[in-house]
Amino acid sequence: MSIEGAFDLIVVGGGTAGCVVAARASEDPALRVLLVEAGPDPRPIPDIVADPKRQSELILKSPYVRMYDVAREDGSTFPLLSGRIMGGGSSINNLAVVRPMRRDFDAWTQFGGPVWSYDALLPLMRAIETDRDFGDSPIHGSAGPLQLHRSFKLDDPADPPVRALIEAALALGLPACPDLNVPEPYGICASPYNVENGRRQSTAVAYLDPARDRPNLTILSDTTAMRLVVNGTRVDGVELARATGPVVVRSASVVLAAGVFHSPQLLMLSGIGPSDELARHRIPVRHHLPGVGTNYQDHAVVYVTFQGTTDLREDYVIPKVRLIAKSDDTMDHPDLHVFMRPSIRMRGLPPMLPVSIHLLEHRSRGNVALQSANPTDLPVVDPALLSHPRDVRALVGGIAVASRLAAHPALAAFYGALLTPGSPDAWEEHVRTSYITYYHGVGTCRIGPAQDPGAVVDSGLRVHGMDNLWVADASVLPVIPHANTNLAAILVGEVAAQAIARA
Amino acid sequence: MKLSGGIEIGAPADQVWTLIIDPVSLSSCIPGVSHVRQIDERTFEGSITVSVGPVDGDFDFNSTLVRREFPDLEVRLEGIDSVTKSRLEATVVASLTSSDPSHTGLAYLATISVRGRLAILGEMILRATAGLIIAELTRCLQARLEGSGIGVGKTDGP
Ligand SMILES: Cc1cc2nc3c(=O)[nH]c(=O)nc-3n(C[C@H](O)[C@H](O)[C@H](O)COP(=O)(O)OP(=O)(O)OC[C@H]3O[C@@H](n4cnc5c(N)ncnc54)[C@H](O)[C@@H]3O)c2cc1C
Repeated sequence: MSIEGAFDLIVVGGGTAGCVVAARASEDPALRVLLVEAGPDPRPIPDIVADPKRQSELILKSPYVRMYDVAREDGSTFPLLSGRIMGGGSSINNLAVVRPMRRDFDAWTQFGGPVWSYDALLPLMRAIETDRDFGDSPIHGSAGPLQLHRSFKLDDPADPPVRALIEAALALGLPACPDLNVPEPYGICASPYNVENGRRQSTAVAYLDPARDRPNLTILSDTTAMRLVVNGTRVDGVELARATGPVVVRSASVVLAAGVFHSPQLLMLSGIGPSDELARHRIPVRHHLPGVGTNYQDHAVVYVTFQGTTDLREDYVIPKVRLIAKSDDTMDHPDLHVFMRPSIRMRGLPPMLPVSIHLLEHRSRGNVALQSANPTDLPVVDPALLSHPRDVRALVGGIAVASRLAAHPALAAFYGALLTPGSPDAWEEHVRTSYITYYHGVGTCRIGPAQDPGAVVDSGLRVHGMDNLWVADASVLPVIPHANTNLAAILVGEVAAQAIARA
Repeated sequence: MKLSGGIEIGAPADQVWTLIIDPVSLSSCIPGVSHVRQIDERTFEGSITVSVGPVDGDFDFNSTLVRREFPDLEVRLEGIDSVTKSRLEATVVASLTSSDPSHTGLAYLATISVRGRLAILGEMILRATAGLIIAELTRCLQARLEGSGIGVGKTDGP
């Protein structure tokens, strides 16, 4: 694999968005593209990655998951996760394919202008997907690289507890939502997944595999970008650490797609970031950009547990249905995902049935900072989840939603009393001390105009003040969507590829 | 992660004390615990099996009585789970109080830390199960010490 000479484009990070950028950019045979991924690129893809049934094992045991320990206000800790393998998050995630809502595009438009509106991006969203269920519709695609389908439709025959959940949700006034990728989804929804013939459709599979044989695309796995070689307002290349030793590879343009934790880390290691943070680590300031690493957002999750009257074995990773619900009936839009989870069993105890409640908004803002100037040290993340009282209230409202559902006669055959947290007095404390995340970090290199001090990239994803440096991953999203984030990251990759081609 | 609470038992404090400082008797009151073996006066080991959906895991632990001065007890527990090979460490501090000679309150505070992948699911499992485990432990201690004899040594749930 030759990395001699200069490339036209280096893509740093072969994650969800990086694979998209590398595949799209290398469609132009005149462009010499290098894709660099810190993790491995195992081929054939091991079963533990490809087979959705092994998802729990993948997360709990495989070497492809990176953990970032973070603290709650009370000092207790929990991990954030990312994928460290070709495909990044899309190779280890829970495979749900969920579009941002129309209101998310409206929010992004405030920062990035009309190119980020729902209507402007609908053609790209259609071009990304082959939706096996709704492909032939004005809002869906039937010829894109990402295969997706719903393994279950709301009126399919289903296990009694799933039918009962649907019945209870409808009885409580939630509408049926057969397609949650409409602009304003709400209700009891059939869940779409990127699985084809029982195999995961990561972006390494959907985008990179068809491009691998192109002579103008070079792929380096097990290779970590240590820093960018910055020369005034230009990046001349990237310093890489390979098993054989360090090497500098030159390129006309560079795209950072190292994800919400590592794209800001690489910018800062290269002297692009808040000058005080750089000074703290004695990194020479090449370009003071105060927004780098700020604006971290994620989705907080709480688990509650009901006494089970039966041993519910509903699939943990691929729940057939999800509730898109409101934490408060007076809201004009839904702000929660709610899932029934499989039972926990312990000898001597009745089965316990967890329900997970996922808040789709984040009012406060966290940040990603450097632990040190050493590129191999993980960055330090303060997600600042639930530091806003309304976010706490929303999750408490979510517990009420879950309790109302579980108490509905249709579900009484499966769900008993709420065990954890017991009485409503204990709900807020439970939320504050036990929340984890949906693993949907975004925002640390956000879009915005040059005069906006928190902005890192412009609406075409080019880094402010730099001529030939782009960021293309979930870190550019200025506001977290009311949705899982993989599809948004794919969309960012598509937007970046178009913007770079135009530049 | 911290778990705290209290248990009320209708028995004198010295009887409660005798039971809780005997690891084999105490663990027979804790659901899910098996293969308990006393190693020496202060140390014992055992195993807990938990299943979450399709994943079955055993947690093998080793436990040491760090402090045993009536009415205060401190137990340190460390173990490794069979699925993720992660390490869990816990310190449980328990203290007995009695307002009258035939009633004893047992207050406890458990401080638990999980290192490694188990942290992804472990806390949720601990919180989910803690309430029922404590309820079962209470029921078992009451049954043994309040003289009814029902449930003595029994770990099968309701
Ligand atoms: C456990 C889990 C479950 C999830 N479930 C879902 C889901 O069901 N549906 C959904 O929509 N979203 C889900 N998500 C979120 C989604 O997967 C992410 O938002 C998405 O993958 C982010 O894509 P990205 O391109 O921004 O970054 P990533 O996919 O994280 O890509 C970054 C890549 O850069 C590489 N990298 C980092 N630093 C360097 C360096 N210095 N040099 C070279 N390479 C580097 C990393 O190894 C990685 O491959 C989940 C995430 C996790 C962690």
